[in-house]
Amino acid sequence: MAEMKLFLGCTIPNRLPFLEAAARKVFDKLGIQTSDAPFACCPEPVGFHSIDHEAWLAMGARNLCLAEDEGKDIVSLCNGCYQTLAVVNHELKEKSAEKEKINAILAKINKEYKGTINVKHFVHVLHDNLPKIKEAITKQLSNLKVAVHAGCHYARPSEILKSDDPWKPQKQRDIIAATGATIVDYELEKLCCGNGAGYYNKETGTEIAKQKIESAKAAGANCIVVNCPACFQQLDTQRGLPIIYLTELLALAMGEDFNSLNMKFHITKKGDGLELKSL
Amino acid sequence: MGIDVSVDVEFRRKIMDMHQGARLMYCYQCNHCTYDCPISKLVGSDVYNPRKLILHSFLGMKGNILGKKENPALWACMTCDTCDEVCPNDIELTNIFYVLRNLSVKSGEAPAAYLMQAKTIFENGKAIPMSGPIERRRGQMGLKSLPEAPLDEIQTILKERGVDKVLPAE
Repeated sequence: MAEMKLFLGCTIPNRLPFLEAAARKVFDKLGIQTSDAPFACCPEPVGFHSIDHEAWLAMGARNLCLAEDEGKDIVSLCNGCYQTLAVVNHELKEKSAEKEKINAILAKINKEYKGTINVKHFVHVLHDNLPKIKEAITKQLSNLKVAVHAGCHYARPSEILKSDDPWKPQKQRDIIAATGATIVDYELEKLCCGNGAGYYNKETGTEIAKQKIESAKAAGANCIVVNCPACFQQLDTQRGLPIIYLTELLALAMGEDFNSLNMKFHITKKGDGLELKSL
Repeated sequence: MGIDVSVDVEFRRKIMDMHQGARLMYCYQCNHCTYDCPISKLVGSDVYNPRKLILHSFLGMKGNILGKKENPALWACMTCDTCDEVCPNDIELTNIFYVLRNLSVKSGEAPAAYLMQAKTIFENGKAIPMSGPIERRRGQMGLKSLPEAPLDEIQTILKERGVDKVLPAE
């Protein structure tokens, strides 16, 4: 697999660096090669897209240009960054008038968007490496009863992203299943984490997160596995169930532990019969 | 709460011209978007109602969407894209809501948190800037410092679009 540009976004490197460390460890173990670039904010799809559509496109296109310059695809660790970059890429590849408009802006910073690379979510990349993942797993996480949360911006809008089922994403499930954990279906699996509601009304977002966690608990889950740092923060701060980021889960199954993964920085460390320390 | 029935043709044209706005005309008001909207469910469809947003956009009834500061009927949406997925006519509701919000920003009616985030991006290139304690924590975890985007490039782009003009002064 060719080297990719790692798009870390804002939340992971600047708030949750332990998630970056876990992802880099798993990539190393699987031989997935990545490199960094001076990327700016993706920009953020809930807030910044609401400010100005063209500015959102141009900022996204600048990030895409950096990867294009090296002829490498982008892999994102965050749903929001993935959705922004993939949708901007799609829109500019499909609509030549938009592309011209955005390139007129990029010309001021001596850049030109060409449309030569692809944007992937890290779940896609891991899924492509499923046989290698199975080989690298040394420990079955059979005491985990996982409620899966895939987040809104992972597979929606599906007519553009076309990467997984928008309601019951399968790729994340396949990866979780490889660790020996049991996947628990729960009523509110499709529900958003509520993070995006927080801009306007924090209480609304909190209420949505709490409902989601209660639904997972009621179905017998002892943790929630997420694939996005915004969902991670939103759910982890509720102190309902331990939240595990997908690469943390894989790292645990590959022999890492609570200490080596710095899981002390999780806010919710135990709940409903599971203690992260014991993993 | 009364309904403003006056029609703004210019506003209607603006919405129809942008993105996939013209697909709006296929909306037959089935209410699936509102029925499945997690925000409508929580705050009530009298407060936030995607079906009505689409209806008022289509009819050009600008007064029901713009003209109010921090209007929950427009800004309560968390862009989860659920409505887009369940719409039987493939109307890209969230994209239309972005157009409406962009207009609301220009009218000086956007909620403070949205403008503050844009200000942070303008000043730092990132929605969440790096901090000293996190920088140290990164070092302890063996993580390298990351290359930073040149701020002049980011500000040039944003100024081209006039984003600097809508940012809060302090």
